[in-house]
Amino acid sequence: MRIPDEERALAEKARAGDHTAFAGLVRLHQRRAYFVARAIVTVHEDAEDAVQEGFVRAYQALDRFDTAQGFGAWLNRIVANAALDIARRRKVRTTDELSDALQSPFRDPAEDAELRGRLAEALAQLPERARSVIVLHDVEGFTHVEIGEMLGIPGGTARSDLHHARQKLRGLLKDLRG
Amino acid sequence: MSDELKFPGPSSSADPDSLNEPLAGRIREAYAPVAADSDLYWVGLEGRIMARIRTEGAGDGRWWTVLAPWAQAGLIAAAAIFAVTTVINQRLADSDSQYAYESVIQVSAPTSGLSAAIGSSSDRATGTDATLNYVLSH
Repeated sequence: MRIPDEERALAEKARAGDHTAFAGLVRLHQRRAYFVARAIVTVHEDAEDAVQEGFVRAYQALDRFDTAQGFGAWLNRIVANAALDIARRRKVRTTDELSDALQSPFRDPAEDAELRGRLAEALAQLPERARSVIVLHDVEGFTHVEIGEMLGIPGGTARSDLHHARQKLRGLLKDLRG
Repeated sequence: MSDELKFPGPSSSADPDSLNEPLAGRIREAYAPVAADSDLYWVGLEGRIMARIRTEGAGDGRWWTVLAPWAQAGLIAAAAIFAVTTVINQRLADSDSQYAYESVIQVSAPTSGLSAAIGSSSDRATGTDATLNYVLSH
C-alpha cells in the first residue's frame, strides 16, 4: 500500500511534536475512525469517546509509529481497541438502546419504523464481535485481515464470524425482504 | 438465501455471501452520526480531539520520554554506585574477618600458660613412667 506523501509528512511532523500536523491527521482520518468505533460500540456517544480516546492514545504512541506504514490502518487498530474497552465496560446492550442508536433523522419514522425496529432487534441478537465484523466488512469495506488486526483475532476467525453473522442476520430479517 | 440479498457493493462485489445493498446501506446510514453530512460536526469533533490532545497528549504515554536522555547517565551512575558499594562491602567484610581473627588470637594468648602446665604435667607423667619402669625392672 502506498502511503500518500501528505500523510507521511504530517505523521513525521506530528511525531516531532507539531500539533497542527496532528490536527491534519485527525481531519484526514476521523470519519473512518468514527465508523470503525461505531461498528464496535453501536452507540454514537460511545463511538465518539472511542475516537477521541484512540487519537489521544495514537498521539502518545507516535514515537512507536513507523511512518512507512499507513497512519490510518495503525490508528484504526488503536481506535478499535479503545472501542472494545468501552464495549467491555458497557457489556449490557438492550434492544431499546440499539433501536435508539439506529434512529435516523433523514427518514420518515412512520414509514420504516418496522424495519428500524427489526434491524435493531436483529443486530442486538448478534454476538458483539459478529456485529462488529459484519458492519466493518459489509458496511465499511474492511478486509478480513484488517478486521482481524483491529479486533485482535485471526483473519480466518473474522471470515468465519462474518459468515455466521450474515446467516443469522438473514434468518432474522428474511420476512422483511421484498 | 436468494439473489435479492446480493448486491454489487464496493467492498464485496466478488463476495457472493455479502449482504444486499439496501440492508447494508440501511445499516451504514443508521450507524452514521446524526449530523454526518455536516462539516460542522466533523470540525467540532476535530476540535474536541485536539482539546484532549492538548490536555492529555503529553500525559502518561510520554512522561518517560522526557527522562529518556537521562537514562544512559542514570545507568552509568547506578553501575558506579553498585561497584563502589560492592567494594565498600568487601572491605568491611575483610576488616570484620581481620578483627575476628585478631580477637581469636588475643583470646587464645593466655592459654600458653595452660599449654606449659600441660607440658609440665606431661613431663611429670614421663618421670613417673620412668620411675615405675625402674621399680619393675628390679
